[in-house]
Amino acid sequence: MAHPQIAAFARLAQGNIPPTRAIAGQAALLSRSLHDIRYDAINDEILVANGHAQAILVYRGAADGEEAPIRIIQGSKTMLNDPDRLDVDPIHNEIFVPDREGKQILVFPRNGIGDVAPIRVLKGPATQLERAGALVVDPVHNLLVVGLPYSDTGSSPPAGSLLIFQRTDAGNTPPSRIIRGPKTGIIRINQMAVYSPRKVVIAAQPGKIEEMEPDGAFVGVWSLDDNGDVPPRWKLIAGPKSTMKKPRGVALDPKNKTVIIADMRLNAVLTFYFPEIF
Amino acid sequence: MALRLLSRNRNKGIPVLGLIATIAGFLLLLDRSTLTESARISRSGGQAQLISVQPLSPMLGEMCQWLPASASGSLASALQQERQAARAAGESPTATRRAEVVARKPARMIRDPYAAYSSIAVDPVHDEVVLTDENLFQILVYDRLANTPPRARMTEPKRMLGGMHTKIEFQCGLYIDPTNGDIFAVNNDTVRTLVIFSRSQRGNVPPARELYTPRGTFGIAVHETTEEMYLTLQHDNAVSVFHKYAEKDDAPVRLLQGNRTMLADPHGIVLDTKNKEMFISNYGSHHLKQSTSQEDSREEKANWPNGVQLPGSGRHLPASITVYPLNASGDTPPLRVIQGPKTEMNWPTALAIDVERGELYVANDMGDSILVFSVSASGDVAPLRTLKGPKSLVKNPTGVFLDLKNDELWVANFGNHSATVYKRGASGDTPPLRVIRSGPLNEPSLGIGNPHPVAYDTKREEILVPN
Repeated sequence: MAHPQIAAFARLAQGNIPPTRAIAGQAALLSRSLHDIRYDAINDEILVANGHAQAILVYRGAADGEEAPIRIIQGSKTMLNDPDRLDVDPIHNEIFVPDREGKQILVFPRNGIGDVAPIRVLKGPATQLERAGALVVDPVHNLLVVGLPYSDTGSSPPAGSLLIFQRTDAGNTPPSRIIRGPKTGIIRINQMAVYSPRKVVIAAQPGKIEEMEPDGAFVGVWSLDDNGDVPPRWKLIAGPKSTMKKPRGVALDPKNKTVIIADMRLNAVLTFYFPEIF
Repeated sequence: MALRLLSRNRNKGIPVLGLIATIAGFLLLLDRSTLTESARISRSGGQAQLISVQPLSPMLGEMCQWLPASASGSLASALQQERQAARAAGESPTATRRAEVVARKPARMIRDPYAAYSSIAVDPVHDEVVLTDENLFQILVYDRLANTPPRARMTEPKRMLGGMHTKIEFQCGLYIDPTNGDIFAVNNDTVRTLVIFSRSQRGNVPPARELYTPRGTFGIAVHETTEEMYLTLQHDNAVSVFHKYAEKDDAPVRLLQGNRTMLADPHGIVLDTKNKEMFISNYGSHHLKQSTSQEDSREEKANWPNGVQLPGSGRHLPASITVYPLNASGDTPPLRVIQGPKTEMNWPTALAIDVERGELYVANDMGDSILVFSVSASGDVAPLRTLKGPKSLVKNPTGVFLDLKNDELWVANFGNHSATVYKRGASGDTPPLRVIRSGPLNEPSLGIGNPHPVAYDTKREEILVPN
């Protein structure tokens, strides 16, 4: 991808409408292919990870142009290793970062600056954190949901999973619940969002990574009480009806009861009216 | 107006909604000035009560949300649908309701329908210019002398390659074989395959040849005399050198990687065969690699890059151009580094070289400029000249090419759907000699590329889309 940026579009933007602002440039410290972004509504901040520089970057909510982050977590104490995705818990003031290579979840203070050690690490064989690639926090129900991809040498058909931990779990703690199995349709999980009032998680499931337009891609909705081989309660399925081809990102606009989906094969952002989950 | 409703009997929802509609209709008939700030209407007997009417604060944006065509048209049914939906979220919905959701179309879609040129190369033998398009996943071939008239929507390419069989996705580097016109196109990290097409291929066809590359390839350069192909690797801060005709699982013949190389998110690459040097542009994101055993860190191929990061070693360096011996390998430090505020570099992306004049051209993405340095430049030096300005039409340039046969400089402008061509040596705010556009003049260019995640800014009601 030739040009990194964080572009902001009006909620009602439709078609080829230019962004209202964009963060980009040397001072912004961004790199290629940002795989997660979170908006902290309480503190009015934007959070992303730069995997190449092993950094968590925090911008002010109104950041525009070649604007530097207001805080950076980076350094030898951080243990950051190709940070790819993240989530922020503005209630308990924590940032969660999955570490695929380290098979662990790192938790940092939200206001951490510079070379800050994690305040908690979830790691160990009981956690089942193999290639933990995506996560989301429910600060109301104190839950942490971790998305795992399928294993190349694992089950057939290949199956990914959602592991549900308590938010404060640390060390070698097993997940409280696991959503996994053929009925789930999960091959791998990319970005997720939670809607705490309904206690649901909304997850982008883009299918096999090696396929440009995989079959079976969807955005699924599970209850955070689900456990085992449970199909999603609701599904938006990639295909001609939805227009989606490869959904990888998902965000919620509860006020307008919409789900916003980033589609990598369309190079597009789609908004679906989805009152059923709000 | 905002109507606040108090219902004393939740089992009589429909009559309540009917009452709302009646009251709302009545209020709409009133002159706005006759309404007090807090008009109170009360009823008794278990019916709904309108307890206040409050004017809304002035709104700058849209007053009403557009609903999809499938949504109910009446207030009563919309409210009823909403209430049912709220109950249903935590329950198992019926098959009918699930089918309704599956059939739902998006209410809105943000998308640029035109090609976004990311890299460029000229085939002077056949008088063609070739461009990669990262938005619609295509390779487009135009007549070299094509010039889109200002009133035209676009110029139609002579040939196009695109579709699932081509394995073309986020292509950011391009090389044309001067001997036969073969197109070498670099996919970035979403498809770990370098694709090579013959000049006669078009449409949705498999590449004539494929090479399985390390992750995150960006720039490409070929040394025709030694028949070696150089690829920059963003993720691994490395340069892999393959045989020019390598294919499939062939291993690299050489690797430049290590903590002394100063490679930091490398992008463009160009070879100075006269002085036997290679130049690489770096954005600056950097980390160290962990020393690990061969079996832990690499595939079973010789010269394959080490992909294992040393945790906590990340840092941000200033943008740079690092210069190495042409045959550098291993952990070789650069001979020279161009870096510093005087250089004006701001995400230096593609590179081109004028060996005759000893000049290095830099597509300076966020500077909206083409910077030209001496090939012997070192340290914090100003460019010899700069091509930049509104008349030049240079906007987020990510591709640059020198056509020495025709004495022309080409620029791929990711930020405005155009490829622009200038006389070699152009500087300042010089208008292009010719322009090839993929979309109408002044049509917005969204710059969306590989949108992986998304966020919603509830304060500003904005959708945040990173690349």
